[in-house]
Amino acid sequence: MNDPGSAPRPLIEAHQVSKVYDDGMIRALDGVDLSVADGEFVAITGPSGCGKSTLLHLLAALDRPTSGTIRVDGYDMNNLRHSNRFRRQEIGLVFQLHNLLPRLSVLGNVEIAMAASHRPYSERSLYARRLLGDVDLAHLADRRPTQLSGGERQRVAIARALANDPPVLLADEPTGSLDSASVEVVLGLFQRLRAERGVTIVLVTHDNVVAGVADRIVHMLDGKVAADAGGAL
Amino acid sequence: MSLVRLILANLWAKKSRSIGIGFAIGIAVMTVVTLTVVSSGLESSAAAVLTVGKSDFTVAQNGVSDILFSSIDNGQLENVKSTKGVASAVGVLLETEKINAANPLFLEIGIDPGDLAHFGVTVVAGTPYGATASHAVMLGWRAAQNLGLHVGDRFEGNGTWNTVTGIFSTGIAYGDLGAMFPLPALQARNRVAGSVTLVFVKVVPGYSIAKVEKALTSAHPELTTIQTATQFGRADRNLVFLQAAATGSTVLAILIGAVIVGNTMLLSLFERTREFGLLRAIGWTRTRVVVLVVGEGVVLAVAGSATGVGLSFAATSVLEHLPQLNGVLHANYTQGAFWRGLYTGLGMAVIGAFYPALRAANLAPLKALSHE
Repeated sequence: MNDPGSAPRPLIEAHQVSKVYDDGMIRALDGVDLSVADGEFVAITGPSGCGKSTLLHLLAALDRPTSGTIRVDGYDMNNLRHSNRFRRQEIGLVFQLHNLLPRLSVLGNVEIAMAASHRPYSERSLYARRLLGDVDLAHLADRRPTQLSGGERQRVAIARALANDPPVLLADEPTGSLDSASVEVVLGLFQRLRAERGVTIVLVTHDNVVAGVADRIVHMLDGKVAADAGGAL
Repeated sequence: MSLVRLILANLWAKKSRSIGIGFAIGIAVMTVVTLTVVSSGLESSAAAVLTVGKSDFTVAQNGVSDILFSSIDNGQLENVKSTKGVASAVGVLLETEKINAANPLFLEIGIDPGDLAHFGVTVVAGTPYGATASHAVMLGWRAAQNLGLHVGDRFEGNGTWNTVTGIFSTGIAYGDLGAMFPLPALQARNRVAGSVTLVFVKVVPGYSIAKVEKALTSAHPELTTIQTATQFGRADRNLVFLQAAATGSTVLAILIGAVIVGNTMLLSLFERTREFGLLRAIGWTRTRVVVLVVGEGVVLAVAGSATGVGLSFAATSVLEHLPQLNGVLHANYTQGAFWRGLYTGLGMAVIGAFYPALRAANLAPLKALSHE
């Protein structure tokens, strides 16, 4: 967190980031600049194929930029040697599809993210239960994912993303497959987590209503940042 | 959620497949353990011949396929006797004969009565036969007991009826289950006049047994010496082939099993592509993914090996009771057989799982997560 009165330090900085596929035939990102402050909640919006998910994947070290630089919490994405450790310690990932393992319990699905964490083994189960409590699912800890609703599954996925206390939460269309009631619950949860934990959130969505809950909305078009504004567009 | 619990949960989730792989490993392990137990049993039975006589080492013809085919003539026997350091050398003719269903390989030893003491034989009832007697026999005390015969009774062996002149003890179970005949009578019956099968040698006290053996085999390369059961292969090629077959089948079982296990695990990998992608995306290292997949293989291997060992007990028992093998095959469950079973199972599973594990570990998380 930042000192009171000082400007929030940028936790994520992307400078002139480009990403091309198929030997340059597809230009997914074209000179993107983005800065996200510590504790900020940013929504990236835009139509399908505008490059918003690609940008999120680069921030998550799931892919590397073709050119440009990205720094996340001091880590240089272009020269990242241990991307696994970075993803484990620095970011929490939430996908459109929850990607929970059906053979594990809800609790097991959260614990699995702590597999290589520094947290003592004896504390992991307890902490996973606490995280499930944070997403109001403590009472379902022993259920299987198949016994949960779509919204509940996504909340488990959020708890899993927080398992290693990352400073950054990256969410790719987290409400894309949810009904409207579940969307509200999940968005409320993001806001609460930001407020209570101070976690920095970057949320990718094509839904402007969903984006409206963020502090700031970055609109992308054809691989470029078309607009960057606080509040609704 | 420990890695072990995750491995067990993964295997439990696909019970039929896990049981199938475990059973395949079990069948391979059963084959290997049974072959090892059988060959070891045959080795023990065959090598038991060497333990009948009290000696420092035994001399046989070099390179025969079966030790009972060894043939040493009188001249060679004299050469052995005259070797420096040899205190005594007892030449005996060994044969086996089926005398009834319970004794398909009854041991018959042709030996001069004058050599009985050197051979370590004690006559416990009656008297030894005459050196040139033609219808006389001494029975080992166990054989006499099994056959219900006593001194003065008649025993059909060596192709004729013989009078039991005495009961002997060698102190070795295998020897006490056989019979002794005058050497010329057994040689005549088998048409090998003037030759013996093995020579049991005692070394003069103070002489090095190894040096006497070396001197003997250097001077007479057509002969070989055997001190322990492990050296048995020098004179019995069949046993060497049997051991080679057991080793070869182990290697084959590992290779074929590894292909089966690998194939099944590759199928499983395709089904679990999204899962591996997720694990990598949330920060699992490649090594941890490899350990997960290989760990699943190891658990299957241990379970399959245990099943295989259990099945091998059943298989060996069935083999022992086959009419063709009754009394011939004596299962010898050595520690080595169990180890061989375990490493066969582990070899199959680890080699089979390793490639799928590497594939899983090297999946690009993004690609894997978008896998349908």
